[in-house]
This record gives sequence, structure tokens and C-alpha cells, in this order.
Amino acid sequence: MKKIMLTAAAVLLSAAMCLSPVQAEKQVYIGISKIVAHPALDALEQGVQDGVKETFPNARFDLQNANGEMSTAASIAQKFKAEKVDIAVGIATPTAQALVNTIKNRPVLFCAVTDPEGAGLVRSVKHGEKGVTGTSDMTPVKEQIMLLNRIKPIKTLGHVYCSGEANAVALAGIAKAVCKELGIKFVETTVTNSAEVKQAVQTIAPRVDGIYLSNDNTVFSALAAVTAVAMKHKIPVMSADPSSAESNDVLAAWGFDYYKMGRVTGRVAADIINGAKPEEIPTIYMTDPSDVDLLINLDVAAKLGLVIPETIVETANKIIENGKLTSK
Amino acid sequence: MIEGIFVEGLIYAIMALGVFFTFRVLDFPDLTVDGSFPMGAVIMAAGLHQGISPVTCLVLAFAGGLLAGFITAAIHNKLKVPHLLAGILTMTMLYSVNIRILSNKANLPLLRIDTLLTKVHGLAQGVMAPEYASLIFFILVVLAIKFLLDLFFLTDMGLVFGALGNNEQMVRVQGVNPATLKLIGVGISNGLVALSGAFAAQYQGFADVNLGQGIVVSGLASVMLGEFLLKSNRISILTLRVILGAILFKGIMYLGRYYGYYINMTPNDLKLITGLLIIVSLAVANFKRIQQKGGA
Repeated sequence: MKKIMLTAAAVLLSAAMCLSPVQAEKQVYIGISKIVAHPALDALEQGVQDGVKETFPNARFDLQNANGEMSTAASIAQKFKAEKVDIAVGIATPTAQALVNTIKNRPVLFCAVTDPEGAGLVRSVKHGEKGVTGTSDMTPVKEQIMLLNRIKPIKTLGHVYCSGEANAVALAGIAKAVCKELGIKFVETTVTNSAEVKQAVQTIAPRVDGIYLSNDNTVFSALAAVTAVAMKHKIPVMSADPSSAESNDVLAAWGFDYYKMGRVTGRVAADIINGAKPEEIPTIYMTDPSDVDLLINLDVAAKLGLVIPETIVETANKIIENGKLTSK
Repeated sequence: MIEGIFVEGLIYAIMALGVFFTFRVLDFPDLTVDGSFPMGAVIMAAGLHQGISPVTCLVLAFAGGLLAGFITAAIHNKLKVPHLLAGILTMTMLYSVNIRILSNKANLPLLRIDTLLTKVHGLAQGVMAPEYASLIFFILVVLAIKFLLDLFFLTDMGLVFGALGNNEQMVRVQGVNPATLKLIGVGISNGLVALSGAFAAQYQGFADVNLGQGIVVSGLASVMLGEFLLKSNRISILTLRVILGAILFKGIMYLGRYYGYYINMTPNDLKLITGLLIIVSLAVANFKRIQQKGGA
């Protein structure tokens, strides 16, 4: 009898612990699954939380990280499903795929997925699927390459990307098509990890007169190696990531702030919790001028003997001159 | 939630059985696994996208793994390269092969395509929830594989495998060529691993060339945890405990993810936990062995 009483007491106690006090505001619980800890993705994760908190200041988050192990992405999805999160956010392609595959009765948002159609998350970027939509980190590849071309006419463009990153592979395909269209010769080389980046750049540097870097976590991890080789060969580097370009010799970087992208995703999550239908929300692209950062490094331009047209300098919101960064 | 742990545990148990075969039966530490696991996944995904039937894809995945194992064993046998290095070489080469299989992509989704699992869910529709249909399906699959392995180990050839891991010299004296045995053993082992990868891809909804990260370690952890659970020399129990170990390993990882924050643990610490689990299992096993020797 005593045992039964004890058990009952334990059950009641644990039930009491589970039941949070009823609040006026809906208690929102959001699961965020990211593939790996990485500056851009961490900023994104923070952005999602802040975006949700604009509407739901008391929202609770379950932050999960697969440590780069794809097999773990499914475990995280199972966890979110079991916990009945109000919405699940997948940062990067594999984590988003695992969430969409596992969670059928709750909305799933993807973000930092360059090619949502190719990743099978949505059939078309023009509208979401039942319970699935999100933000893409597709960068303006054509505009980036054309910008570099305006600063220095490029005959042969070099491109280094990681063959194991779905995003990077998708962007490389686009860059190739853009170069064909612009009549620029395209020399590409792939790496499998950040340790190989330096050697990869060394092999193509003598043959190219400009290097283009797309959204590629592996290559950005080794950006210092890319710029060191490029400066030695006196070739400009055009990057898609303004944040890492602040501390490296990159001529120009045009991309968006991952934190802002996270915030946008967080706002969408809040809208969906408030009743918006994911299938009616098209994939969101960061095209608003206020979302996009353009960084110009005048010091690097001087070292390379290039003059950046005044019109470009005017549109830049981050300028590095005499070793100092000024943001507009 | 609990069925999720079991389903995942069962999928990875197929891989753990392969790891058990090389590490424990053949005494051949084989790192090909980190390459043959994603290989099974990409063969499955590429095959399904080509419109090949899921069962045929599974057979192809198994064959791919078999071939990968053959290559590792051949490098080891012919060039007298240590097993670890032979496995690492094959694993490294497989990365490129896997990208080729996916026609130069890194990732192929299976989200809106008919897989074996969607077929199973279709059959079970109206009878039970898809999660439970998956669970029953994988219990059957894993039991079938376990049963076949048990039978295999009881054949003359299977018994020689057991002897080979114990004492290569003795096998040689009996007039059996250890090189041939290793070729077959490492082949079958990686065939199982690739099969596990093929199921994992369907379960997760995508195949990715990086799917192999950390797989061999989780397989090892499963094998060691299983040895913790049951003590026996009977092959049917040995294979059973590998399966239980795989489920337990997944369970522990889930617990770490769920309740880790109570002890200030973050998901980033899970790899540390995996390593510590293996070390603790080894330490306890060693300690017990010393005790037994002292007591005998």
C-alpha cells in the first residue's frame, strides 16, 4: 500500500512539474535543428529565436545540433516529433530533409537551403507544401560575378567549392551557367574538407584572373588560405559572405547577413503559429536591399592595382579602407 | 518516441552486425564502414530515382558493400597493408565513388518518392500508425538477417571464421587460406553495412555523401554495449546482443539529447559521451577478465 501511495505521489509530482502555469499568452515551443556549429549557422539560429520572440516573448526553444553527423539529423527529427513542438526549423539541407520526412502533423520551416526544389523540400519555390516552407540562402550569383567583372574584366574565373555540400554543388552549377552566358571561361575545382582548400586554390590560381566563392561552409572555414594564395598571384577574390570578408583580403563580398535571414525565418514561424498556412507562403529569398550587405575592400583593390568604380563604392554598406571597417 | 528509438536502433543494428563480424569474429578492425554505409544509401537513392524497384535497389546496395569489402580485403591481402590502413584507403576512395553514383551531387532527396517504407506504410494504412508499421517491418528484417547470420556461422565455413579470429595459424594448418576467408568475411560485413545505409536513407528521407560520419564508432559502441548486456558463447546470443546493444546505444544518445541539459550537457557533448561509453565498456570488460583470472 505504502508503495502504491509513493508511486502515486511520484506520478502526481512529475505531472505537476510538466504542467507549466497557465499564461495569458500561448506557450510556444519551437525546435531548431542545425547540422553543425558554424558562425553563420549559429547567427542564423540566434536570428530565428529573436524573430519568434518579436511576437512570442516567452517562446521556449529546443536547440539541437547534429555535430555534422547526418545520421543524427533523423534522431533530432524524432525528438521534435515526440515533443510535439509547435513548429520545427531545419537549418541546412540534410536537417531540413530529415524534419520534413519525419514530422507530418506539425509545420516545418527550412532555412539556409540554397536549392529547396533540388533538395526535395518543396515542389516549387513559388508556393510552400502542406506544412512546409522556408527561406533560401540562394545568393545573387549572376550579380556577384557581374560586379567582379565591372571592377576587373574577367577572362577566366576560378571557383573552389566543397563536393560534399549540397548548397555549394547547386551554386557551382549556377555559376557555371552564368559564366557561359557572360562568355567567361570557368575553371572549377572541388575540395572535400577545409584542409584541402589551399592546395586547390594553388592549382587553379595560375590559370585564372579572378576567384569566385559561393556559399560554402567548408571553403569559408579556410578563407584565409584562399586569400593568401590569391594575393600572392595578384588575383581578386569575390565572395558571397560579407561577414568572413571583414577579416580577410577579399576584394568584394556580396551576400546577406545570416542573422537577418534567421530573423525573417523566425517571423514566418510566428505567423504560422498564428494561423498562416505554410502552403500559401512561397520560399523566401533575401532580395531586399536592406537584407543584403555589400563589402568593398579598398586596401585590397590598391594592392591589386585595381580602381573600384565610384558607383559601386556608393552602393556598398561596408567599406574597408586603411585597415578600418566603416559600416553605413 | 520509444518506437523511434527502436526503429533507429534496428536500422543501425544491421550495420552493427557487420561491425561485429569484422571486429569480433575476424579480429579485423575495418574502417571501410564509414564509406560503405553512405554507399548503400546513395545506391538506394539513385536506384529509386531511376525507377528501379526498392527490393532490387536493396540487393544492389548489398552488392556494392560486398564489393567495397572485397577491395579492402584485397588491399590488405595482396599488398600486406595493415587492416586499418586498407579500410581507410577504401573509405577515402568511396567518397568520390559515392558522389559519382549520385551523378556528381552530394545529396539526393527521397521525400516525394516511393520507397520500401512508403509501401509498408501503404499496406498498413487503416490498420496501424506508420511508426508501428515501420517498427514491425524492421523487427522482421533484422530478425531475418540475424537468423541467416546465425545459420551461416553454424556452417563449416562459418565455424572456420570463428577460428580465424582466434588463431590464424591454426586455420592455416588446417589447409584453409585465411586470405580467402577475409575476403568473404569483410565483403559480407560491408554488404550488411551498405544494407543498413540503404534503409537509413529511406528512413531519413535523403541520401548524402557525408552520411558515414561517425558510423563505425556508433557500430563499435553498439557491439561493446551489447557485450555488457549478455554473457554467452552461443552465436545466436552473440548476434542478439549486438542488436540489443544498437538499440541501447540509440536510447542512450536520445537520453543525452533529452535530459542532458539537467547536467548542463549540450548536444555538442554527445560525441564525447560516445567515446566515453566505449572506454567504460572496455574498462569494465578488462576488469572482469582480471577478476575471473584471479578467481580461477
